Amino acid sequence: MAAPGGQGGAGALSTRGGSGVRRMKWALELSLGGTRSRDRQGGQGDVVYPIGYSEKPVPDTSIQETDKNLVEKRCWDVALGPLKQIPMNLFIMYMSGNTISIFPIMMVCMMAWRPIQALMSMSATFKLLESSSQQWLQGLVYLIGNLLGAALAIYKCQSMGLLPTHSSDWLAFIEPPQRMEIMGGGMVL
Amino acid sequence: MGKLILLLLSLIAFCNIVAAVFEDQVGKFDWRQQYVGKVRFSHFDTHLQSSKKVLLATESNVFAALNTRTGDLFWRHVDKTGPEGNIDAVLHHGQDAVLVVGNGRVLRSWDISVGGLNWEIVLDSGSFQSACLVGQQGTVKHAAVLKKSVISLHYLSNGHQKWIENLPESETVNYQAVHSGGNGQVYALGVVPHSHIAIVAYSVEDGEIIKQISVDAPWLSNIPASCAVIGQGMLTCVDSTTMSLYTLDLYQQLQMTQIPLQALGLEVDPDFHPYLVSHQPNPARQPLSEFLLHLGPDHHLLLQLNNGQVVTLRDFKPALLVAFATTGEKTVAAVMSPKNKTACSINLFSAETGRRLLDTTLIYTVDPTGGKPERLHVQAFLKKDDSVGYRVMVQTEDHALTFIQQPGRVMWTREEALSHVMTMEMVDLPLTGTQAELEGEFGKKAAIQDGLTSMVLKRLSSQLIMLQAWVAHLWKLFYDARKPRSQVKNEVSIENLSRDEFNLQKMMVMVTASGKLFGIDSKTGSILWKHYLENIPDNAAFNLMVQRTTAHFPHPPQCTLLIKDKDSGLATLHVFNPIFGRKSQVAPPVLSQPILQSLLLPLMDQDYAKVLLLVDDQYKVSAFPSTKNVIQQLQETAASIFFYLVDSSQGRLSGYRLRTDLSTEQVWEVVIPTEVQKIVSVKGKRSNEHVHSQGRVMGDRSVLYKYLNPNLLAVVTESTDLHQERSFIGILLIDGVTGRIFHEAVQRKARGPVHVVHSENWVVYEYWSTKSRRNEFSVIELYEGMELYNSTVFSSLDRPHAPQVLQQSYIFPSSISTMEATLTEKGITSRHLLIGLPSGGIMSLPKMFLDPRRPEIVSEQSREENLIPYAPELIIRTEWFINYNQTVSRVRGIYTAPSGLESTCLVVAYGLDIYQTRVYPSKQFDVLKDDYDYMLISSVLFALFFATMISKRLAEVKLLNRAWR
Repeated sequence: MAAPGGQGGAGALSTRGGSGVRRMKWALELSLGGTRSRDRQGGQGDVVYPIGYSEKPVPDTSIQETDKNLVEKRCWDVALGPLKQIPMNLFIMYMSGNTISIFPIMMVCMMAWRPIQALMSMSATFKLLESSSQQWLQGLVYLIGNLLGAALAIYKCQSMGLLPTHSSDWLAFIEPPQRMEIMGGGMVL
Repeated sequence: MGKLILLLLSLIAFCNIVAAVFEDQVGKFDWRQQYVGKVRFSHFDTHLQSSKKVLLATESNVFAALNTRTGDLFWRHVDKTGPEGNIDAVLHHGQDAVLVVGNGRVLRSWDISVGGLNWEIVLDSGSFQSACLVGQQGTVKHAAVLKKSVISLHYLSNGHQKWIENLPESETVNYQAVHSGGNGQVYALGVVPHSHIAIVAYSVEDGEIIKQISVDAPWLSNIPASCAVIGQGMLTCVDSTTMSLYTLDLYQQLQMTQIPLQALGLEVDPDFHPYLVSHQPNPARQPLSEFLLHLGPDHHLLLQLNNGQVVTLRDFKPALLVAFATTGEKTVAAVMSPKNKTACSINLFSAETGRRLLDTTLIYTVDPTGGKPERLHVQAFLKKDDSVGYRVMVQTEDHALTFIQQPGRVMWTREEALSHVMTMEMVDLPLTGTQAELEGEFGKKAAIQDGLTSMVLKRLSSQLIMLQAWVAHLWKLFYDARKPRSQVKNEVSIENLSRDEFNLQKMMVMVTASGKLFGIDSKTGSILWKHYLENIPDNAAFNLMVQRTTAHFPHPPQCTLLIKDKDSGLATLHVFNPIFGRKSQVAPPVLSQPILQSLLLPLMDQDYAKVLLLVDDQYKVSAFPSTKNVIQQLQETAASIFFYLVDSSQGRLSGYRLRTDLSTEQVWEVVIPTEVQKIVSVKGKRSNEHVHSQGRVMGDRSVLYKYLNPNLLAVVTESTDLHQERSFIGILLIDGVTGRIFHEAVQRKARGPVHVVHSENWVVYEYWSTKSRRNEFSVIELYEGMELYNSTVFSSLDRPHAPQVLQQSYIFPSSISTMEATLTEKGITSRHLLIGLPSGGIMSLPKMFLDPRRPEIVSEQSREENLIPYAPELIIRTEWFINYNQTVSRVRGIYTAPSGLESTCLVVAYGLDIYQTRVYPSKQFDVLKDDYDYMLISSVLFALFFATMISKRLAEVKLLNRAWR
């Protein structure tokens, strides 16, 4: 901890010493007590652990019969996830109402986006379900759940009037009809 | 008390602030020009030597004072239109001007210094003949008014009647003139045509008849046309048949003395009615003994009557116009004589001696685009060295007033023809030179002629030119920005005319009743060109059409004006360039047959000029231009060309079809019996109208399709019976091609005048309800229903289903003068109705308020549709006035034109005044606001930009430091 040129620094400090108690930039501790006490603490910790105690956990090497069931369960959880969302979504739909404002729009967007995203990453989900025996059934359930979610979003859009299903939605695209006859005239001048 | 005054002051100050909310916008987009009309009487204010007023009474029933230095209005009083407000006579004395108005109905005195009304009295009925000021012992205190059977004397101070006397033998004698020579007597001069003159002298004091005498004058039929009182009460007349002057002493009433003109060595021009002009500088004194005799159109004489002897002082020949003027004790005659083809010289002559005054020549340059000088108004004044100086106001045939100072400096010009605009059009300005070059180079013709490489070269060169122009523009912007704003003037002249970015500046082509055409810049209102068409009959009908716009670059734009003389029925065509006003080189066809109507087809000839069809009284059609190409096109499309004619006098509406040999065939006819009702107006749709939305969205989000028949006509009829119980107005919606009547409505107990606007799928009309005594608006809307029959083409011949008709009426709190609908480029912007009110306001009423679908009971669906619940009253909101306090007198028409911005519609209201502005029916949705804070936005942007730069740098430094640690 000794810094080069410490002597000069100490000399400078001694000149200022009279101004009062200050924190020193550096100091030499001549007694060894402080460092020893720190070391002693570490030593005490080693002493506390009982004999035979290891900090690393010991891996459980026994074979469990329930593993297979757990995988199945886990896969079903994944597959049923979107279906479980639906009641929640219904509740949100009911709560947000049919007015067109920023929050309902955001919610509808979320509702529509999540199933679409899930459908896009279908292959990744299939990989997850690979280990399951009912892989195809679970995949189907997952697909249906997501499709239902998307349908729900579309239904919400419909009830909010966001879908161009009425003739009025296409009104702006109707071109003015072409005129077949040329007509003019007026009062006799 | 001090606090109260302070409070009042602050209140006033506050009020001023409130009134000036949009002061920064006043005059920014709008301008107004005020006119007075064709001058009938003019008087220079000679009351004060330094006065700079000229009083004008005009044929438009306006009495106004102009500043002679600038030509601006000091004040103006607009009376009723028609004979009721007609100004019969102006008597000017000192600070007062007494007007006889409405065929002697009202006598009014105005204070000319401020234009305030001194007094007004209503006179007894009787047709007005003459009026004069009556002086006595050097002071003028009375005015005499002569009517058909009575003469009355009124005090000038308060208008009270001093006395009124019946004129003797007024059944047989036509009293036509009144004279006073300041000797306590008033003379009423009457004539029994071709028999004798009757003279009655009244005492000013009590109206007692002092003398009454008749003198034989078998040659005389009209006193004001051929007689004048000259000198010491000498009634002098001139007669063209006997070629003589006759004098009669009013005081002694001896025989008439005949002085043959030949004895004076004079001769009257054939076919010219000679007349006399006398001059009475002070009504309290006798007229001058010198007078002017007009013997021919350019022959005038200054004569003197001395003890019954007529002496020729000066013979002015050639002299176009002569006028007397008096200043102090000196009377002069100003004589305008032609100098050469383009200029006239005006000289002063002493009235007493007939000698020409030195250094009084004034050169008047005849405007080649104006009419001939018609009248001379002379303002004479005494110079410091006691010589007479003068200025003249020349009135020309085209109603223009030009005020000229010696030696010929034009101080100002007023185009009073603009007080009576008949019709107008707005024409797009041409592109700038560079833009035009681009257009020309990449036009169709160029592409065919040139190869690929030359096109590339051309492109590069034109881009270079554009770059150059852009740099020049930037430099100009920078240069102007350094100067204070008031100094930057964008002088508009015909040379630097060019279309602006949004096509907001256009050329207004105005046709006036006098036959003068004007080209006015719509941004500033300055007249850029004028052209006077001579020999336009008073009752001519005008039809102005734009045959070629500025869009076809190498070809100049072309307008055609059809002028029809209503008496002879013959018409002429004037073809001109609307930007420069020059007559076009294209020779218009000579029309030998009376023309009934014209029709501008959307067909174009090879030079991009639209084809004009003229229908003559044999129902034959001639085309202009009539090149082979046009005839061929016409033959090809003849089967689809239809036209209709409405003959109001016979109550007949008829439709015709064009045959390939350009003859016509009547297709349909509707006769409205003229005994019961007459056709007042027929309105079709404007050809440049676009409708963006083909239907209306209902509350349940279905569509109610509009019935947009471009051939639909709205015919308005009024009953001939005007009794308030039996009068009615009718409206007829009829197809112009097939003659099919779609709707017929009759408003009982209603009367005209009916104002109609027909646009899109609606017709709005306004009438007076005699039953409820109020003005009412009615709106008719036509809908096809929930389904379109044919969405791609519209043919009147193939529309089996009649449209649904909806109608609703409203009460309007004011009568209206005229009405028009706004028009925009694409028709996306909502429509407003522009209503000219008799009060001088122009109101912009949203069409939304005139909607027959306004529900009486509000429902969910109507709320969804944004329909306003029905309320019978339409209110006038003051914020709807587009011309704030700029009153536009006697609005006769409103013209609307689309601009390049969809939100903006250009509006011109014309009547006695002209007012131009822009309206934004749906607010300015496509333009940043005027007060948009560019500074704030750009400074915030820059600040953010620099902040990111700085923080990026700081972050880098911090990262580096962390890496070192």
